[in-house]
Amino acid sequence: MARYGMLIDTIKCVNCYACSLACQTQNGLPDDENFIYFLEKEEGTFPNVKRDFLPVQCQHCDEPACEEVCPTGATYKDEDGIVVLDNSKCIGCKYCGVACPYSARVQLHDSMYKKGTYEDAGREYNYTVEKCRFCKELVDNGEQPACVTTCISNARIFGDLDDPESELSKAIVEKKAKPLRADLGTKPKIYYVR
Amino acid sequence: MLKSKMTRRTFLKASAITGVVAASASYVGRGNISDASSIQDAEKIPNLCNGCSSRCGMTVTVSDGRVVRVDGNPLHSRSRGTLCGRAHGAALLAYHPDRLTEPLKKNENGEFEPISWEQAYKEIGEKLQTIINEHGPDSFAYFQNPKRVQRLYGDRFVEALGSANIFSHNASCNLSRDTGFKHVLGGVPSGDVANAKVTLFIGRSYGDGIRPSQLQNLVTAKDNGSKIYIVDPRLNSTSNLADEWLPIKPGTDLALLLAIANVLIEENLYDKEFCEEHGNRFEDFEREMKQYTPEWASDKTDLSVDVIKQVARDLGENRPKAIVEQSWKGAFGCNYENSTETARMVGLVNALLGNINVDGGMLFTSGPSLESPDNLKEPGELKPRVDGAGIKGEKWYLADTAKGVGNAVPDFVKEGKLKAAFCQHHNPVRNHPDYEVMKEGYEGLDLLVVVDIWMSETAEVADYVLPESSWLERTEAVEGLGGKTPTVNLRVQAIDKIHPKTKNFSEIMSELADEMGLSDYFTDLETENRTACEKLGISYDELLEQGTIQLESTWEPGYQGSNTESGKVEFACQAFEDAGFTAVPKWVEPKVTIPEGEFRLIHGKQNIHSHTYSTNIPKLAQISKEYNLDSVWINKKRADELGIKDGDPVIIENEMHTGKTTAKVTEAIHPEAAFYPSHYGSRASLTYNDDNGLSINDYTPHQYEAMSGAPNMMETSVQIKKDGA
Repeated sequence: MARYGMLIDTIKCVNCYACSLACQTQNGLPDDENFIYFLEKEEGTFPNVKRDFLPVQCQHCDEPACEEVCPTGATYKDEDGIVVLDNSKCIGCKYCGVACPYSARVQLHDSMYKKGTYEDAGREYNYTVEKCRFCKELVDNGEQPACVTTCISNARIFGDLDDPESELSKAIVEKKAKPLRADLGTKPKIYYVR
Repeated sequence: MLKSKMTRRTFLKASAITGVVAASASYVGRGNISDASSIQDAEKIPNLCNGCSSRCGMTVTVSDGRVVRVDGNPLHSRSRGTLCGRAHGAALLAYHPDRLTEPLKKNENGEFEPISWEQAYKEIGEKLQTIINEHGPDSFAYFQNPKRVQRLYGDRFVEALGSANIFSHNASCNLSRDTGFKHVLGGVPSGDVANAKVTLFIGRSYGDGIRPSQLQNLVTAKDNGSKIYIVDPRLNSTSNLADEWLPIKPGTDLALLLAIANVLIEENLYDKEFCEEHGNRFEDFEREMKQYTPEWASDKTDLSVDVIKQVARDLGENRPKAIVEQSWKGAFGCNYENSTETARMVGLVNALLGNINVDGGMLFTSGPSLESPDNLKEPGELKPRVDGAGIKGEKWYLADTAKGVGNAVPDFVKEGKLKAAFCQHHNPVRNHPDYEVMKEGYEGLDLLVVVDIWMSETAEVADYVLPESSWLERTEAVEGLGGKTPTVNLRVQAIDKIHPKTKNFSEIMSELADEMGLSDYFTDLETENRTACEKLGISYDELLEQGTIQLESTWEPGYQGSNTESGKVEFACQAFEDAGFTAVPKWVEPKVTIPEGEFRLIHGKQNIHSHTYSTNIPKLAQISKEYNLDSVWINKKRADELGIKDGDPVIIENEMHTGKTTAKVTEAIHPEAAFYPSHYGSRASLTYNDDNGLSINDYTPHQYEAMSGAPNMMETSVQIKKDGA
C-alpha cells in the first residue's frame, strides 16, 4: 500500500510536450487525445516578462470530485491512491468530466483530426471517459509512469507521499511545492514548483 | 492562473466530452487503453532516434512485431535515459501512409511511375557515367545529413567517382558559426555548462532545439547556482532556467560581443597570460577592441550600458568557469551578414576568458576513431570543390569545407558547373531561402536522384526517387560521439520492413556502385561494423545488445593548441585578410535595415519539430494545431499600433510572398522582430501538412553572406497587417 503522488517542477519545464506524447503512446491514444495538457501564462511588459508553463493532468485527488459524481462506481481510488476507471462499469455519462476542476477527463471518441490512418489494428473504443492512471501497469511493475521517464529536464518526480524518505516527499519539502487550486478541497496529489 | 487560462481547454474539453464513438486507428502503442498491461513477449532493441539530427540513444519496445514504446537509453550521452516529444512522434514513421514503397522515375509528362530497382540502377548508373564522361567528376554533387553511414556509402561513392562536392544540410543551419570557429579556434568546442559559473546563450535555446543532455546540464548548472543569461530577441522556452533575458535587437549580437571584449580588456578582467602565450597577434585585437565601448554597443543592440557591463564583468570575474555557449543555428548559425564575425567573436571572448578546454569552460573532446576494412580501395585524387570552399583565391575560401555552400547550387547549375546530384536525408529545395530559385536550380540538373522515405519538395523535382527503409527498419553504421566520456553507438533494426521493396541507404549505394563498377570501394554494413569494433577493441555483439558502449575518457584538461593556421588562437586571422576582410573581427552591419513600420522576420526551432519534415507526423502536427504553434509572434505595442489582437488572422507580406497566419501578440519579443517557427509551410504533397502555415524561406531572397557564403536567413523585412483590414 502506498499513496502515490507526483511533483512537477515548472521552473525546469520547457513545455516540450514529451510527457503528453509518451503518455499517448503508453496508453494507445489517438493523436488528438491527451491525458496531459499545457497552459501558458505571460506576465509583465516588455522587456520585463516572464512565461509560465503548466502541464496539467489528473491530480489523483484524495477526495476526487469525479469519483463522487460517478453514478456507477466506475471511477474509484485504488489501494495505492491512484484514481482509476473500471471500463466495464463506465456508461459514458461524462459527469466526471464536468465535475473535475482540472479538466482531466477525456472521453475517447472519433478523431477530430482524421485525414488518414496508418493501419487498422482492430482497435476499438468504448467511449468511456478516460484519464491518467499514473501508468498503473508500470507502477505495479516497479517502474515509473511514462511521463516521468521521458521528461528531458527531470522536472517530474513520482513516488510515495506516505514515505517521508521518498525522493518525492523530500523534494516537496525542499522546493516548497504546492498542489494546484488546493482551495477547491479535493486534496490533489500532484505538487507543483512554480 | 488556472482559471483565467481555461478558455481554450474548456472548449477542447467540450469537444472531447461530446464526441461520438468509433476510432481512428493511427497509433503506435498499445491496442487499447484497457489492454495497457497486456503487452506480451516484448523485446527491447537499441536504436538511435531519428526525430532530429542529434541521434539520441534509445530503446524500442517491440511486441508482436509492432513498436509499442520508445525510451531513452541511459548509457547514451545525449539522451541519458530520456527522450523529447519528437522521438515519440517519429516512432510512427514506419507506418506512415506517405511512405514511398518502390523506386520511382519521372516520365515525359512529369509524372512519377514505379520502376524496378534493376532498371533504376541501370539507368541512373548509365546517366551518371555519361555526365561524368562529358563534364568531369566535379559536375556531380551529393547532399546529405552528415552521419557515418552517409560518409561510408554516400561520400565514398562521390569520392570514388573523383568528385569532392559533398554538401551537408548545414548551410541552412550553422555554416557561418562553423566557419568562424574553425578560423579562430580550429573547431567548434562544447560549453561545459553544467560546471560553468556563468553561461551566456546567444540565440540558442536548449528548451526549443532540444538535446536532452544539454538541457540536463543547464538544470544542473541552475541547481548549482550558476548565473544564466539568455540573449535572444524572443523570450524562448528556456527562459525559466535563466536569470536574465537580454532582449537584443535582432542581428546585433556581434556588437554585444565586441563590447564584452572591450570591457574585459579595459577592466583587465581577461586571462592576459593565456592570450599572450597562446594568442596569435593579440596586440592587434586589443587595439581594435578599444573602439567598441558599451555605450556604442548599447546604441546598436538596444541593451543598456549597465547590462552590457554587468554581463562582461560577470563573465570576467568568474573566468575561466564562464562561457559564451557555442550555439547551433541560433542567432549566428547562418542568419545575418555579420554571422561569421559573430562566431569569431564568440570564440575569441571565450579565449579572453581563458576557458579553452578547462572544466566549466569550452571543451575540445574527441570521439573514437572508427575505421573501415583495410582492403577497400581508396579514392584517388579529387577534382576541386565546385563552391571553392577552402581554396585560396576563391570567393568562399573561408567557408568550412565539411559543410560547403550548398545553398549556391542553383547558381552552379545555371553556370553549367553542376549537372548531376544525389540527395539523401535532406530537403534543400524547401530548407534554403527562396523556393522558386531553389526549385528551378534543382530542376535544372540533368540528373537528380533523391533517396527518402516520402516525397519532399526536393524529391518532387527529382528524376528518380528511391525509397529508403525508415529508421526503425534499418541497421546503420557504427558511429562515435566525443565528450568527456566518448561513446560508440549503433542503430539496430527494430521491426521488419513494412514495405518490402524499400532498401537501406547502404544497400542502395553499394548496389549502384556494383552497377557502375565501383564495388572495390565498398563492403557490406556488417563487415564495416564488425571491423570498426574489432579495430577499436570492443565487441560488436555487445553493441548490438546495448546500443551504446562507453569508452575510457581520452580528454585531457588544459589548452592543447589549436587546429588553426598559426596553431594558436587567432585573435587576428591571416586567412580573413587574404579573403579581403580584416584579420581582426570588426563590426559588420546587418545587410537589411528594417524600415519604419516593418518587422525583421526571425525564426527558430519549436521543441516538437525538426527541420521541415516533422510537420507531416500526425501526432506532432496535431500539437501544432491544438496550441496554435504556427503563429507569428508580434510585440504587444507594435500589435496595438497595427490594431492586431492575440489570435487575429494576419497577413505577412513582402516583395517575395504574401501569406496568412494568426498572430501571437506578446510582450516577450523585441518590437522590431516578428518570430515565426521554421518548420511550417511545406509545399510537398503529403497527408498531414497541407494548410500548415508559412515558410520563412518564402520571405527571404536567395543571397549570400560575404564571408562564408551562408544564406543570411534572417536578412529580410516584412509587413504584417490584420487580415481584412
